[in-house]
Amino acid sequence: MKKTVSLLAASVLSISLLAGCGSGDNAGGADNGKVKIEFFHYKREAMDTFDKLIEKFEKENPNIDIEQASPPDAGTVIKTRVSKGDVPDIISIGGDMGYNELSKAGVFTDLSKDKVLEKVQPAYIQMLKDITGQEKIYGVPFAANAVGVIYNKAIFNELGLEVPKTWDEFVALSETIQKAGKVPFYHTYKDAWTLLPSFNALAANTQGADFYEQLNKGKVLAEKRYKEAVEKMVVLSKYGHKNQQGVAYNDGNTAFANGESAMYLQGIWAIPEIIKANPDIELGVFPFPATNNPEEIKVISGVDLLYALSAKSEHPKEAKKFIEFMLQDENAKQYIEEQNAFSALMGIAQDNPTVADLKVMMENGAVTDFPDHYIPTGVYPDKTLQTLAQDKDVDSALEKIQKDWEKVQSRK
Amino acid sequence: MRERTNWPVTIFIALGSVAILIPLYISISIALKNPQELAESALSLPLNFHWENFTKAIEVTNFFNAFKNSSIITIFTLVFTLLTNSLVAYGIARNMHRKLFRNLYYYFVSALFIPFPIIMLPIVKQTSALGLNNTAGLILLYVVYGMAMNIFIYVGYIRSIPIELEEAAIVDGCSTWGVFWKVIFPLLTPINATVGILTCLWAWNDFLLPLVILSDSADATLPLVQYVFQTEFGADYNLAFASYLMAMAPMVIVYLFAQKWIIGGVVKGAIK
Amino acid sequence: MKSDQLILNNHQSSPADLAKSKKKKMNGRMMAYYLMVIPAALLFFAFHTFPAIQGIYYSFTNWNGINLDYDFVGFKNYINLFKDTAVRDSYLFTFKFAIFAGVLVNIISLAVAIGLNAKIKGRNFFRAVYFLPNILSVLIVGFIFNFVFTSIIPNLGEKYQIEFLTENILGNANLAWIGILIVFIWQSCAFNIILYLSGLQTVPHELYEASSLDGANRWQQFWKITFPVIAPFFTINMVLAMKNALMVFDQIVAMTGGGPGTVTTSISYLIYTGGLAGGEFAFQSANGVIYFIVIMAISVFQLKVLQKREMDM
Repeated sequence: MKKTVSLLAASVLSISLLAGCGSGDNAGGADNGKVKIEFFHYKREAMDTFDKLIEKFEKENPNIDIEQASPPDAGTVIKTRVSKGDVPDIISIGGDMGYNELSKAGVFTDLSKDKVLEKVQPAYIQMLKDITGQEKIYGVPFAANAVGVIYNKAIFNELGLEVPKTWDEFVALSETIQKAGKVPFYHTYKDAWTLLPSFNALAANTQGADFYEQLNKGKVLAEKRYKEAVEKMVVLSKYGHKNQQGVAYNDGNTAFANGESAMYLQGIWAIPEIIKANPDIELGVFPFPATNNPEEIKVISGVDLLYALSAKSEHPKEAKKFIEFMLQDENAKQYIEEQNAFSALMGIAQDNPTVADLKVMMENGAVTDFPDHYIPTGVYPDKTLQTLAQDKDVDSALEKIQKDWEKVQSRK
Repeated sequence: MRERTNWPVTIFIALGSVAILIPLYISISIALKNPQELAESALSLPLNFHWENFTKAIEVTNFFNAFKNSSIITIFTLVFTLLTNSLVAYGIARNMHRKLFRNLYYYFVSALFIPFPIIMLPIVKQTSALGLNNTAGLILLYVVYGMAMNIFIYVGYIRSIPIELEEAAIVDGCSTWGVFWKVIFPLLTPINATVGILTCLWAWNDFLLPLVILSDSADATLPLVQYVFQTEFGADYNLAFASYLMAMAPMVIVYLFAQKWIIGGVVKGAIK
Repeated sequence: MKSDQLILNNHQSSPADLAKSKKKKMNGRMMAYYLMVIPAALLFFAFHTFPAIQGIYYSFTNWNGINLDYDFVGFKNYINLFKDTAVRDSYLFTFKFAIFAGVLVNIISLAVAIGLNAKIKGRNFFRAVYFLPNILSVLIVGFIFNFVFTSIIPNLGEKYQIEFLTENILGNANLAWIGILIVFIWQSCAFNIILYLSGLQTVPHELYEASSLDGANRWQQFWKITFPVIAPFFTINMVLAMKNALMVFDQIVAMTGGGPGTVTTSISYLIYTGGLAGGEFAFQSANGVIYFIVIMAISVFQLKVLQKREMDM
């Protein structure tokens, strides 16, 4: 008899446990009169900066509670959550294919006519339009990143080297460094994505001006137009070091910081990590000399972070208030200073001297977007390039990208 | 049985066990060093114990929160699994001559052959739609998914218990429930131990299910936290290994004290 | 106990049952059994079978996992599956991996188990050591070995000028799978050793004494006496090791992310990444269905063949 009761008690307990948690979710929205806003972003390295800004915001708006969420592999997580129907109020991602797919799936609020866009540089708004192929804008571009060649000034001075302006000079320079017994580039091929920054810089400058136009017509030209970029990737892979296949991004940052190579092919987002590993390093960034025509070379810069608003948010007003707060000059400035990013907003300059060369070009408008933002998910150029770095087989890499691309298109 | 010790085999076995222990020694050694000492040698004995790696790892990963999550999930999964799965198995085992129950037995057991990936994508949607993308949902899934294996183990065992014991209890006026809780459940202790150990190991160490089911990072379990903080550790391996060790420590400590019992339980589960 | 039956009686709603009291008692008992089993079966259906059916349903659509609408495309996904090189490569990798893992885990486990069963010093201690990996998290063990391959071994290679060690095998397209295999074996042997050991302990010692009087050597002893007794354990171990190897996932997340390129992308890993992040929800659902059929076929085949062999002996 006692046991029957205890069993009943156990099952009641389990039911109330389940029910309790279910109702807990609903109650979350109106906890002690505060409005809870979930702010989802993929910039784990910026969590501290966001913490500070959120604290400031909550002080100004005591009735709003911002919850920051930034899981690893955020691209997968956000899609999983969308397919679950559990969309965060504010979604901060990059202006890439993920943005494109989520926009088309109707996840975001249309912001095309919204005043928040007034502060944004038109070039970045145009990028979002290009990515989706639509006139509608579903996110507020906030930060921009850029790819260049990060170099160790001490090693350049020691060897008497100058910053190269063309591809040929770049290769000759690498040759000189290698002959001097030093490593030109520290490659981190174990992490496939670390091949993309160089590929983006090369492809954007060599794929041809009408590449995207052709793409919008449904034509895939990867095999032809990426040829030069892929060939140049192979050249770069030859100026690496022993075991370059086996080193991951984190170790690469440390190795470059400790002077193990003269140059590092990464986006400017790596700079804070490098400086953390060695605060004394003297480094600079020069634009990627992708071709032999220095006047035409463009810096690769894309929307690194945008704020999108869930179409189903229960508290759109409060969520928007937070976005507006982040766009205020002072706060936007704090973000780009701490994260060493460029601002997508007008009138907010990145004054860090390490990126001065890039800044000049960006201000002159010599900017173009990351080509991989236009490559559909399911093609995985990073993995193909990772194989290329090892077997140096240009033709099969091109064929693979082309085939994968066509495959993804045919599935629609 | 009064043979001499077989020394060549002893040496072979000892060498093999070194292969098992070296990775664990390396983990401890790295967790206790600072980056400079690690750069010199990962394998050398740690001379100065840098316990601050552990305190810092606790802080960075919010260790106690993850520990609490893993503990709650493991304990509730254990309790509910033992109470419910044995009951279901009893109902089936005593009615195997009836078609419905026999078919249910095969229904549960055949699920052992269904690879998780095929249900992974839909279950992610389903748990979320039901508001179960949290700790409670995870416990429910462990209890339900565990049934395939556990019913297999329990039914075999229960059928070996002589039915006369129950008949005596029924004559005394026990209901079916009474028979189960008063007569059968106490007899299940050895097999409960087996199921309990297997369930604990699974719930504590599992990675894929928490990865896809849990939405709120505050619910993260210990293995999930190690994954989540990979990027945070950067190249700070001392911190990372301190964190790994702490995540593994609870199970290892239990194992040190209950080693014979755990091995025996696991073997019994597999041979059934 | 009366109140117990009262509760049970309350569950009976059919008036026909109330008519005959003897039958009532019998039905009460059956009702209790139904109450034990049916709710569990329903839960199991809701959280295991129903999602599996849904998976099959989606495999006939073109849903990408996030869009609001989707269309039925018939067998298109299945046709594409057979044309897809990524899928083909993942099956090839997974099978190669499972075969090597199954064979090596069994050879090593059996050797160690025979060693542990011999007259050795500190048997219980060694037994505990060999079982230790089984209680550790696969993911964390993967992280530890990742560091061993990425940093410790290349450093040793540099230090002692051993050329082939200086390269991280996880970065080498031809060798990366061996790195994952090593971790898998390190961890999987634990369970199989203990299982073989318990099998070996059932071999009557007198048989060995009798056979050594007959002049049989150790090798003959093994095949004539030991192996027939442990053959059922061989079956279990082979099935278990291969099943786990076919599901390999955590090690890949921890060590290679499926790379370099896609050479270590297992089927589970492909379904996870392609289905959730890659916008191939429907396509990978179809992959899951095929995967299920394959696993089912292999398991049944193994059990049939291995059991038949046991009979023959």
